[in-house]
Amino acid sequence: MSVPALEVRGLVKHYPGVKALDGVDLVVRPNEVLGLAGENGAGKSTLLKALVGLVAPDAGEIFVRGEPVRLRSVVEAANHGIGMVFQEQSLVPNLTAAENIVLGSEGSAVRRGVYRWDTMRRLAQEQLDKIGSDIDPLARTDSLSFAERQMVEIAKVLRIEERSQHPPVIILDEPTSVLESKEIETLFAQIRRLREFASVVFVSHRLDEVLDVCDRVTVLRGGQSVGEVATAGAVPGELHKLMIGSTGSDDHYHSGAASLVAAEQPRLSVRKLSGRSFQEVDLDVAAGEIVGIVGVHGSGREDVCRALFGAEPTTAGEIRMDGKKIDLPHTRAACAAGIGYVPAERKIEGMVGAMSVADNMTLTKQKARCTGPFVAPKKQATLVDRWIERLSIRTPGRDTAIGRLSGGNQQKVVLARWLVGGDIKLLLLDHPTRGLDIGARSEVYRLMRELAGSGVATVLLADSLEEAIGMADRILVMSDGRVVAEVACPNGGKPSPLDLVKEMV
Amino acid sequence: MTTHVAAFRLPVRITGFMPLIALVTLVAALTVADADFLTQRSLTAALRTAAPLIVLAAGATLVVLCGGIDLSIAALASLSTVLLALWLPDLGALATPAVIAVAATIGAVQGLAHVLLRIPSFIVTLGGLSILSAVALVVSGAGTVRVVDDSTVKWLDLYLGGYLPMSAVMAFVVVAVIAVVLTVTPLKSWISATGYSESAARLAGTPVDLVKVGAFCVSGACAGFAAVMLVSRQFSGGPTMADNLLLPAVAAIVVGGTAITGGHGSVWRSLAGALVVTLLRVGLPIVGVPSAYEQILYGVIIVVAVALTLDGSKVSIIK
Repeated sequence: MSVPALEVRGLVKHYPGVKALDGVDLVVRPNEVLGLAGENGAGKSTLLKALVGLVAPDAGEIFVRGEPVRLRSVVEAANHGIGMVFQEQSLVPNLTAAENIVLGSEGSAVRRGVYRWDTMRRLAQEQLDKIGSDIDPLARTDSLSFAERQMVEIAKVLRIEERSQHPPVIILDEPTSVLESKEIETLFAQIRRLREFASVVFVSHRLDEVLDVCDRVTVLRGGQSVGEVATAGAVPGELHKLMIGSTGSDDHYHSGAASLVAAEQPRLSVRKLSGRSFQEVDLDVAAGEIVGIVGVHGSGREDVCRALFGAEPTTAGEIRMDGKKIDLPHTRAACAAGIGYVPAERKIEGMVGAMSVADNMTLTKQKARCTGPFVAPKKQATLVDRWIERLSIRTPGRDTAIGRLSGGNQQKVVLARWLVGGDIKLLLLDHPTRGLDIGARSEVYRLMRELAGSGVATVLLADSLEEAIGMADRILVMSDGRVVAEVACPNGGKPSPLDLVKEMV
Repeated sequence: MTTHVAAFRLPVRITGFMPLIALVTLVAALTVADADFLTQRSLTAALRTAAPLIVLAAGATLVVLCGGIDLSIAALASLSTVLLALWLPDLGALATPAVIAVAATIGAVQGLAHVLLRIPSFIVTLGGLSILSAVALVVSGAGTVRVVDDSTVKWLDLYLGGYLPMSAVMAFVVVAVIAVVLTVTPLKSWISATGYSESAARLAGTPVDLVKVGAFCVSGACAGFAAVMLVSRQFSGGPTMADNLLLPAVAAIVVGGTAITGGHGSVWRSLAGALVVTLLRVGLPIVGVPSAYEQILYGVIIVVAVALTLDGSKVSIIK
């Protein structure tokens, strides 16, 4: 057998209170697509960061084509032919695609400190050709679609091939989490193309995707490699079993706990709501009901959600809570009305990463931790500890910075923020399970059911159609800023994804 | 996302005390350089000089914690010295609160301009600096305004027990009051959240705009109070009297380890920072550093101090 393109032996990394990597082994063979699966907190992110020199491991070895290497920076990793397409896009928006592609490795595109546009364009075109992309290298990056930008990002990483003079190892960290299904197919075509001259490490929470595009999957759990699965003929259940160390719940969406919706006055009633990107939206949500809104990118559903939280201006229409008309000029008004919002961009908008779990949890409902105008530390401690226990949030303590927790636990803290006040009536969930693994997803679903059961009305912008169908009692389909269809979605009479897609386009 | 190089990181517990350690180290170094430095007289002088700087820096720290910056503090303090000197004959004891109130209002107006017109605080206060300087020149007639009867502000220039400058005590009180109010109320969370991530703070229902305007208002009030200290010491007000305190105040904030990008820091840190900055100014000549080298040493020590005091684990992007 040939020498592995990349090999990791016994990698260990400690963080305060957490052992992120506990002797991970990993082998990436030449010209293969290796999947990396594992729940949040399994050590995937840390391992990837170690491979591109962003994290210095405490112990263990990394071999590139059989040679032991020490990777101290992204540049060193690139010199060894290892590059990563980051989860958060790392392109400079106001530069052209070509500039972004050569940025940091300009080489002959710069002579005596001056850009040579022709050379740069040619260099960029070479990279784009490798992935067969027809993006104009001179297009400004911010004029490109999200998927196109990702292609540019891949092209940028491919520059390391010239640099290391070897077949590169390309790491794709959660590349599909923000793509639409058609874009995902294009990406997969690219990955298969990459395989012809490179090795690819592919990370995704969607196990069906992992099985679809990868040749082999290594499963991480608790900072260790716990198994390897050849994808031919494998099923997601098998992988999931390895990931969580036991069989997954049969009832992923906890639909057994689905609520019976009493027909009464709706908790939330929206009439002819219009804003920048949506028109005349009607929406009713009863107490205890979960209403899903589905639609393609640009359908305006995210903005409707934000408008209901006072974070997006409206031009016309009426919002009633429990029959009473309310105005939402700013987010504070929404909070006061018992409305909670979980944004899609958890790391940027959902939480304050440097602040503690306790401070994040009590940021909105300050009254819950105060006596009069003053913060009562004991009251806060009791309250926060109770919710940490209730939602089984895994954290070293309430004073740990939330940024140190895994995604699923972060999301639970963000959700708890709306619950600690005990006055939540309506929850707006914008992709609440984005970037979460199956185990964490399942816990978020269970929590949603529990809240619905206690009478909270929920608007859900699901991560996938399956999720919308699985969780919602009723689904609204939005297209071009309008509600175009309403599909009942009762337990036992769930529509198929195809039924919804028909309405969406 | 915290993707910083883990090359140089101190244990969390120590980084909180770094400003204090830097201060003690500096005093020790000055004492080693010249054993005569550590006398009651020079320490008293240093504290007295530091007092207005501490107050200025403490107020502006709030703005920095919110993720902004207030460049107008020194100009506002200069204007306030003029107003105080002009008003003392008529208003007497009321002149002090009147000046502080006016300064607070001017601060709040700048905050409102920043929030409502969505202009970066850097620009708003840069404009404020220019406008306030000009106003100070106009109302003072471009000259020093003498204070004949300073009986109502003189108390600030007295010494507690003969040694401890009253102004330094009051500066300490200002810092303590701000720190305590922040800690025992939700304000600290609100300010930190606003500074670390304004969008997240807004979506959590934090009164971001109110917090920011409040920070500018307190910053203005502190500039006013610093002006009272200056007048009590100089028996006069002058249109440029406090102008040279702007950069030392900014230096004090960052030397204390407050992140200029917002979120992380405290007024205590700025207190320590202001003392470090003042000790350098006062101490270097005392221990006999030639004036040409003084500036170089000052610059080097400021940069090194920031490297030591800034907690890299809390601040992911250094701008």
